[in-house]
Amino acid sequence: MSERDPDAELVARVGTQDPVAVRTLVARKLPRLLALATRMLGDRMEAEDVAQEAFVRIWKQAPSWREGEARFDTWLHRVALNLCYDRLRGQREEPVAEMPDQADPAASPEVQFENRARDEQIRVALAALPARQREALVLNYYQELSNIEAAALMGITVDALESLLARARRNLRAQLAGSGFREDKS
Amino acid sequence: MTPERFHTIVEAYGADPRRWPEQERAAAQAWAAAHRAEADAALAESASVDAWLACDEVAPPDRSLQQRIVAGAPARRAPWFRHRMWWSGAALAGVGLTGGLAGALAVSFFLLAGATSPVHDSSYLTTGFGGSTADWSGE
Repeated sequence: MSERDPDAELVARVGTQDPVAVRTLVARKLPRLLALATRMLGDRMEAEDVAQEAFVRIWKQAPSWREGEARFDTWLHRVALNLCYDRLRGQREEPVAEMPDQADPAASPEVQFENRARDEQIRVALAALPARQREALVLNYYQELSNIEAAALMGITVDALESLLARARRNLRAQLAGSGFREDKS
Repeated sequence: MTPERFHTIVEAYGADPRRWPEQERAAAQAWAAAHRAEADAALAESASVDAWLACDEVAPPDRSLQQRIVAGAPARRAPWFRHRMWWSGAALAGVGLTGGLAGALAVSFFLLAGATSPVHDSSYLTTGFGGSTADWSGE
């Protein structure tokens, strides 16, 4: 990995307790971190706790962060995933069906209801996947990591990652067929 | 690109070529163009899952969460605060020094004021040549 880490300079400034850099890093990383944890855990409140804990690790690590050993974003994903797995072990990976409503206030009540039902189906289906399949899908599809990055993060080969991804998609397709979801609904 | 590899790519990464491995993308697209019917069937099957996955959106973090996280970061003291602390320390040291000097002055004053006059030196401190004038008063 010869490319320069795009976060390195910012992390170095965070290490010097630069308040502007701290706010910039939070704005840059928190949405992705929260999305990752929400999809891995299926629970918004738990995901927010994970995000907060991950940033505590960042504050500790930033002063001694050295560019070149690993990309900061990769390290941060690893930290967040470890925190998620700690919680999943505590939950015994029971999917959490209850999710906060994120209704579009501009949509009609009927559309809002349909959107909520669809979102709920998707979240339940993702939560029902085996954790490693969900992790592969979340890293590659939602976090948009390359296959090489995702495989390295999971400590597996690219072939193994592709196998997990294919199984995850087959499982989702089976659930999709069972739920009556229609892709052209909207 | 073999047919097996094309199917593996689509099954793993979906129907959108932008999500295919960069180093194999061009070859896979070329294979799809050359085998349209077979490729379209595989792509259509994967596209339904893609559409489903694309529906899942996570709400962005709210302001209070951002504020809590920023508040948890170790904060560097602002320069004005450090300067004020420097001046405060100097002022404190100055007050201490002044107090010490005043105390020393007071002690020395009282020592001087309370010291006995040479006139009243005890006799055992004087010699036969240095007696007080009071001794000669009768002469």
